[in-house]
Amino acid sequence: MAVAQPAVLAAEAAHRRRNRRRHLLIYAALAPYVLIAVFPIYWMLITAFKQDPDLYRMENIPFFFNMKPTLRNFEILFFQTNYGAWLWNTFAISAWVAAITLLTAVPAGYALARLKLPGAENTGIAIFLTYLVPPIILFLPLSRIVAELGLQDSWWSLVVVYPTFTIPFCTWLLMGFFKTVPMEIEEAARVDGCGQAGAFLRVILPISLPGVLTAVIFAFTLSMQDFLYGLAFVSPGDQKPVPVGVPTELIRGDVYYWGSLMGAALLVGLPVAILYNFFLDRFIQGITGGIGK
Amino acid sequence: MTQSSLRGGPDPVARAAVVSVPARRVERPWLSHSARRLMFGYTLLAPAALYVMLLVAAPFVFSLYLALSDASVGDPVARFVGLDNFRAAWEMDLFWLAFRNSVVFLVVAAVLKSLLGTSLAFLLLQNFRGRKLIRGLVVIPFTLPIAISVLSWKWMYDSQFSVINWVLSRLGLIGQFGTEGWPIWLGDPKLALIACILVNVWRTFPFSAIVLLAGFTSVPVEVLDAAKVDGCSFFQRFRHVVAPMIFPILMIGFLFDTVFTLSDLSVVYLLTQGGPANATKILPVLAYQIGIQAGSLGRGAAIALFLVPLLLPALVLVLRNIKRREW
Repeated sequence: MAVAQPAVLAAEAAHRRRNRRRHLLIYAALAPYVLIAVFPIYWMLITAFKQDPDLYRMENIPFFFNMKPTLRNFEILFFQTNYGAWLWNTFAISAWVAAITLLTAVPAGYALARLKLPGAENTGIAIFLTYLVPPIILFLPLSRIVAELGLQDSWWSLVVVYPTFTIPFCTWLLMGFFKTVPMEIEEAARVDGCGQAGAFLRVILPISLPGVLTAVIFAFTLSMQDFLYGLAFVSPGDQKPVPVGVPTELIRGDVYYWGSLMGAALLVGLPVAILYNFFLDRFIQGITGGIGK
Repeated sequence: MTQSSLRGGPDPVARAAVVSVPARRVERPWLSHSARRLMFGYTLLAPAALYVMLLVAAPFVFSLYLALSDASVGDPVARFVGLDNFRAAWEMDLFWLAFRNSVVFLVVAAVLKSLLGTSLAFLLLQNFRGRKLIRGLVVIPFTLPIAISVLSWKWMYDSQFSVINWVLSRLGLIGQFGTEGWPIWLGDPKLALIACILVNVWRTFPFSAIVLLAGFTSVPVEVLDAAKVDGCSFFQRFRHVVAPMIFPILMIGFLFDTVFTLSDLSVVYLLTQGGPANATKILPVLAYQIGIQAGSLGRGAAIALFLVPLLLPALVLVLRNIKRREW
């Protein structure tokens, strides 16, 4: 026993060494990918807090602060531009879109998944495929429809238009979700005297809350990914959402306020990116039809 | 008590509930149970279906109509002009340049992002500490709203203060600012398209990697072990077990990316607006500039519709792959 112990320890140490070397190799291989992915975000972050002269001195090393960090860029943003209005618009648009999406996609997803409608499968696929009709084909006819509704040049036009991609995606997502709720739960509710609607509202909906929340998150994040509709339908400076307002209003001719631009972009982009990050697997599952678990 | 009633035990409350169901049905004898279920179902489905029909299907048909008319922003009365808009686009040099740029963009971007995406997926497949964190960092480009991340690139591609050039210059790979050897990424017709393509690749290679990863992890370990026991080599296992199993998911990911890349206008519009000298003019940018900026709705719609033959094969293939999904 006492003789075997050093041998065991040596083997363990060798194993640990090998494991450490393997880790180092993997990290080294991954480093360039992480660098490529994250550097532009780091660059935005540091630019947002730099003083203007610090941005334009080529003899300094630009990767860190050569002068004191400043909040001046954000001051400009909030007091000299429409940024506050854009933030509010973005929030209001997303909230409305999320509400419309929920009110339509939740019942539709449930009906397609659970009520054995004839042709439910094909209907589901047809709705999902409309997610693949790109905005570039729809934006011209939609501009006419928006004008007919009297909504041109107001952010309400985007409330009407964004559900064209959030409803198909979320219906599909929720359809998959409702399928995973055991049928027995619904049957038990029926046995206990719930009607069809009662079973849906009082039993299925509460236990499907995670799926419903996921749909809300996507209504938010997908709305933020749009640029074309906002660009085409909303031109007054105070009506734009952030992703449209920042690049179109903060760049005037050849004058770029890079610090404010980057601050404006990050303030909204980063929270959205982090939120989306947590739900990315759901998104991939959604579009690949739930093959990957 | 609830448990026994769920199992249909001799619970008086449960029995009463069962009995009460036929009683309720008698109240409305003119509707059978299944008819009521169907009515309930279609009522639930209607809002979503209507929304999609009114604001996706109808506009799509309307865009066909626009493309066949001389509708413009200033003149609401549109006359039918047949295929004039399509013919005009066909005869426009700029259209063919945009078509060519779109195809080059799509193909070069697809090659680069599948190389980066595949290698990244293999790395992320390894078992190591901090995997979740690294995965979270690497996918940020895809999750950041596109108009926002493009701004960062616009700053990095700045003609004078480009950080990319700063690094390359310090490494001695390019000349000093103001000399011939200083690349002006967005101002040089030879560089502008590749600069735009790189932004698209940066944004979507994490997507390729994650889709591939989802494919790999969907292959059950037992199947791989069984193949190993049967004496399959690594490459045989990959070729005959893994590849066929992940093919559908890969296909769908690839097609999604094709649709989004081909129809996306934001990268090019924000970086170069199609310039310099039309070097980065792609179909979506051309359709936007003619349809909205020049106000020629019919002509713009026709150009946008030229994307359909490029997108259609992708749509059909997605459809076929989705149909194979287990229900």
